[in-house]
Amino acid sequence: MIHRITRWPLSYSFSLVIAFLAFVPVIILITLASDSAQMFDARNLDILSNTLLLMFFTALGSVAIGVPLALILTYVHLPWQRFWLILFASPLALPSYLGAFTFYAAFGGGGEIASLLGVTTPEVKGLFGSSLTMVLYTYPFVLLSTRSALNSLDASQVYAARTLGMSLLPSIWFVVLPRIRNAIAGGALLASMYALSDFGTPAIMGLTTFTSEIYVEYNAFGLSQAAMLSLQLLVVVALILYMESKVKVNQERPGQHLTLWFNHWQTKLLILGTLPVVIMAILLPLGVFSLWLWRDGLEYFDVQYAINSLYVSLLAALVTVIFALPLAYAATKGRVGRILERITFIGFGIPGIVMGTALVYAGLQLPFLYQTLALLILAYVLRFLPLAVGTIRSSTENLEGSLANAARVLGASPKEVYQRITLPLTMRGVVAGAALVFLEVMRELPATLLLGPIEFETLSTYLWRVYEAGYFGRAAIPGLLLFFFSALGLAIMFSTERWGNIVSNEGASR
Amino acid sequence: MQRRTLIKTLTCLGVVSALPFLSATSFAASSHAVSVDDLPELTGELTLYLGRGEGGLYEDVLNAIKKRNPKLKLRIRRGPTAALANSIMAEAKAGVRQADLFWAVDSGTIGQIVGEGLAKELPSDLTSQLQSNFRFSNWAPISGRIRTLPYNPTRVSVDKIPDDIMALPDSDLSIAWAPAYASFQSFITAMRMLEGDKATTQWLKAMNKKAKKYAGELGVVMAVERGEVDLGLANHYYTLRLKSGKPDANLALAFSKNDAGCLVNVSGVLALSENKTASDFIRYLLSKEVQTYLSGEAYEIPLAGQLPPPTGIPSLTDISPPEIDLTKLADIRATLVLMRNAGVL
Repeated sequence: MIHRITRWPLSYSFSLVIAFLAFVPVIILITLASDSAQMFDARNLDILSNTLLLMFFTALGSVAIGVPLALILTYVHLPWQRFWLILFASPLALPSYLGAFTFYAAFGGGGEIASLLGVTTPEVKGLFGSSLTMVLYTYPFVLLSTRSALNSLDASQVYAARTLGMSLLPSIWFVVLPRIRNAIAGGALLASMYALSDFGTPAIMGLTTFTSEIYVEYNAFGLSQAAMLSLQLLVVVALILYMESKVKVNQERPGQHLTLWFNHWQTKLLILGTLPVVIMAILLPLGVFSLWLWRDGLEYFDVQYAINSLYVSLLAALVTVIFALPLAYAATKGRVGRILERITFIGFGIPGIVMGTALVYAGLQLPFLYQTLALLILAYVLRFLPLAVGTIRSSTENLEGSLANAARVLGASPKEVYQRITLPLTMRGVVAGAALVFLEVMRELPATLLLGPIEFETLSTYLWRVYEAGYFGRAAIPGLLLFFFSALGLAIMFSTERWGNIVSNEGASR
Repeated sequence: MQRRTLIKTLTCLGVVSALPFLSATSFAASSHAVSVDDLPELTGELTLYLGRGEGGLYEDVLNAIKKRNPKLKLRIRRGPTAALANSIMAEAKAGVRQADLFWAVDSGTIGQIVGEGLAKELPSDLTSQLQSNFRFSNWAPISGRIRTLPYNPTRVSVDKIPDDIMALPDSDLSIAWAPAYASFQSFITAMRMLEGDKATTQWLKAMNKKAKKYAGELGVVMAVERGEVDLGLANHYYTLRLKSGKPDANLALAFSKNDAGCLVNVSGVLALSENKTASDFIRYLLSKEVQTYLSGEAYEIPLAGQLPPPTGIPSLTDISPPEIDLTKLADIRATLVLMRNAGVL
């Protein structure tokens, strides 16, 4: 038998094709933007500063809410500890445009709150409105990353500080916070990354950021103007991703855990003090949609929207997983595989509106794809592939090598090893990955808006049309359905119990 | 371009009158209302790009047509008028034609497509159903609308409202507007043609300082009615629709005189493919039933078949709209650039 030292596994070939596909949107954008006359003008400066301000306030706000919540949820002894944790993490599962839509409709003179209670509330829009919405839906990034850092912290030093006479708050400030600074920064970067790439919130709040302006330019001037802005946005994205890769979360040896026992009314006060966050982020949107349902009824809702959403999400989840399997497998095989896997992570950084712009043009060049479901699915696959790969990878990590090698030694062919060992063991990750992709697709708005075939309305695009036309009441059913599916997503996230992974995946997938 | 269109129309008319058998007798060249009963049944497949229905009323029209023609497979792509126009132009450039018909809410966008040479000639017996000043060879206006100044009579009396739109920023009135709306942008294009780019930019900048921005013009009219502002800039029908639902609404219409502020604009349809079903579809939109519906329910001004305008607005002869060729409102792109640079968009 000939001994082959280097071998090009089959999975590499698949991965190479997929990795190439992931590059395509960027190439398209560069080609498209070269048509565009205006490179950068005073207007772009406005857009850039709005975007940066939004990111800054989002990061600031999410730290202001996320860190204290993490401290409370980790250190304070609470009844139903796990319930509170899930409750406070739950805004993560909701697409922020649902919140933006309902805040926009609820506040201000003539808003739902004014017409219901007769109390005129200040308007929620513009930079303030966008930042508020972003903070409410991104603070869980900081909460979860801070909490996992706190959990790995040895509390002996806090006890030492307290013994030496430092009171509680200073000891947390001087002894705990400096050691979890990086975790907080990591969470804040994820939050600002979300703010950077989200389209719905600034568009609804009337704030001109890169994403909302790309849509305006696409509508008013066409693709090449939108492509130029898309490239500028990608530069900012790359910067944030670079910063994120530089943040190292340091691990400490596990040690003593810190638990604070407050008395009854103190605990109550603490919970009461944090509840407004949940009321704003979850109960208010839920309430507004329910109000609309009660007022406008079911009349205008077409079940076809829900069927379309389900159909396209299922299809996208299936295709994504099929694409993800060879990648995840290749990544375990060697360095080349890992590089190929890394390349497909580009999809992470490409905001939906940018992906949409690129693929609309791709469709125009390849007429057989234009306005087809296939192109829309391709957009989803490129966007959410890293999510599936990540989940599948995390389930294969612990079986890397040994079992497969044992099987090989016992005479199984690589194919047999894959079928009988690797695949069954990764099944759990495959299902979880598919489920996550399914739910992301369900809630995706901008790419669907740009790429949806004629007569193909989904829950999220219908919600958007209703917003644009001003018939808010008709958003009730799609809004509530999206809520329901988001709750499902939350359940999956928590059942996989891989917090760190999920958090970082979620963050980059917007 | 204008002269050429005119000559084309004339030639076309000439051909038709020379060969009388070409003009079908049922819709013979007359400007009297044609009933849907006299129209051929629509069959086959049509793709319509719909530049966003006005309050679902256009949807009602389309549904009625679908119901009447069960053999017609009508596919509809909905979106903002300008976005669909961009799509149509990009599709034409790439050689992937999708749309057979384009129903736009604003004539400027239509002018843009016509200017690209994408609109197909319409049968002259079809265009002759329209009022004589609204006849074009390759597109058909469906309904008209007037730019108006809706005001709140409890906050401001009509004699305080300037009749010169250019003087509006100098007044001490509080104002609502919706600059992202296609009809508003056509109004700005008209202003550019009448007053020049410089004056228009100055006007926009001055207005931007005092006007409150709304997403659509229904929002503008509602804000006026609630008393959030004194006066708004909106198409006439929003006021009429709101008043029909709430007859005692604090809302009245004022008109500026002989400037862009009282521009008469139209929604219109054009055919992108040479297809009898497509042109027959347009006949349905010009039929007595559809035109009556649009005027009765949507309060738009019917343009075919000499039907009366909706109640509540002065007739087109009583106001003094500026003399502007509607197809010349096609220069939207320059308008958008100007609005963008003025910080309005």
